[in-house]
Amino acid sequence: MIRLASVTKKFPPNTVALKNINLHIEPGEFVSIVGQSGSGKTTVVRLLIAEIAPDEGKIIIGGWDITHIRNRQIPLLRRQIGVVFQDFKLLPKKTVFENVAFALQVSGGTKSRINKVVPQVLKIVDLEEKRNRYPHQLSGGERQRVAIARALVHRPKILLADEPTGNLDALNSKDIIDLLIKINEFGTTIVLVTHNKEIVNSLKRRVITLEEGSIIQDQKVGKYII
Amino acid sequence: MFLVAIKRSVIFALQSFWRNIWLSLATIFIISLTFLSINFLVIINAISDSAIVAVKDRVDVSVYFKRDVKEDKINEVKNHLETLPQVKEIIYHSPEDNLKEFKAKHENDPVIKETLDELAGNPLGATLIIKAKDLESYPEVLKAIDNPAYSELVEEKNYNDHQLVINRINTIANNIRRGGLVISIIFVIIAALIVFNTVRIAIFTHRNEVGIMKLVGASNWFVRSPFILENIFSGILACLLAIIVTYSFLALLQPHLASFFEGVDFDVTKYFNEHFLIIFGLQLVGITILNIISSSLALGRYLRS
Repeated sequence: MIRLASVTKKFPPNTVALKNINLHIEPGEFVSIVGQSGSGKTTVVRLLIAEIAPDEGKIIIGGWDITHIRNRQIPLLRRQIGVVFQDFKLLPKKTVFENVAFALQVSGGTKSRINKVVPQVLKIVDLEEKRNRYPHQLSGGERQRVAIARALVHRPKILLADEPTGNLDALNSKDIIDLLIKINEFGTTIVLVTHNKEIVNSLKRRVITLEEGSIIQDQKVGKYII
Repeated sequence: MFLVAIKRSVIFALQSFWRNIWLSLATIFIISLTFLSINFLVIINAISDSAIVAVKDRVDVSVYFKRDVKEDKINEVKNHLETLPQVKEIIYHSPEDNLKEFKAKHENDPVIKETLDELAGNPLGATLIIKAKDLESYPEVLKAIDNPAYSELVEEKNYNDHQLVINRINTIANNIRRGGLVISIIFVIIAALIVFNTVRIAIFTHRNEVGIMKLVGASNWFVRSPFILENIFSGILACLLAIIVTYSFLALLQPHLASFFEGVDFDVTKYFNEHFLIIFGLQLVGITILNIISSSLALGRYLRS
């Protein structure tokens, strides 16, 4: 599903964010990528959504080599990968429904499809009743659930979650992780980037540990070791 | 698919316009001010042009004939002058007309009145009032009057006075036109910079939204079009606002201009009506092009990732 082969990424003037990374994630896996700040976790996410390109190596997603992806193909890639971030990245002037619908609108989804799919995903994240609220009228946990709903509208095979609980309290964090587990049970591959020890240890799933741009541990049922 | 995308872009643009109403109003206000500044310059140009035309129109050469020159001789001079291509119009004033006019002009002057009464008959000769097609033609007309065949018939002609006025008017007209052009160019450049920066600021406030749109898979075109459309809406509304304010101002200005241009057919509102499409059409086209360019440039840096 996801393959990084000998990937190296450098940032000027002389920072090496990732050093010769080799990584293979199978379809349907729930993988946590952990590490301290600056270890290269977010760089992996940015590479996977083609926000940046690797300096060396190859990145393949679902059989598609995105190493040298063209600018006009990036929107197509992003419609196939769901992404959620610590800061939610919701459009502040759009309602919950409009934020979720927007991901379908940009890809030319018909009105009837939007009216069918958006309520379905809002039901999954339990936000049907708040569909007309604006982001500033929601709690942090609810905002993150809107972001997850938006990430799900294209029924992606992969969901990247970059520190999705970073801005949430313990209770809301647990809700979000439970939601990710539920989505994973539907067959979606989940890549969770986090430095939350409790969450990683409670998951009992595969854990990839990064340190200074290198993978120092990759365990099938891992723990947070740093 | 394409029509759906266009329809959505329009809807997003209208939504964004309404939901960021204060920013939209500020943009409209600044663009309107720019239009109003340009319209003010157009008004100044129109007034100065009309003033020049009015003054030019009042310039003529009066040829005063000796008292004993017969009317048929004067008609001969008139006919000859009328054959000149530079001459626009020649008006004949008989000695009687001149006396009547002179008396009317000095009716409150008892000395002149008394002197005229003492004189037997009409002391004034006939006059030809010659208007040339343009100011530059007067020297040619005056040269024709200096013809030795006619010069002994002429008592006096107001050659020197008019030469001075003609030169002055020409200099002023050319300076106004040159100055107006320079000011207009400077104004348009300043206006373009103001609008360009206004659009840039408006888009800068939306930079996070642009990133989010890209993140969920929006193509650059899909991100760009609502912003461009929104700015085009602002341009259209600003143009409408400028039209309303300009015409209100013209309505206030016209009575004052009418008294200033007394006797001259100059109506600034009529001038704007006649040039409506060229004045406001150009402004609308200009602001639309400027909006497209500035929106595209301002968005470019946020569309790269």
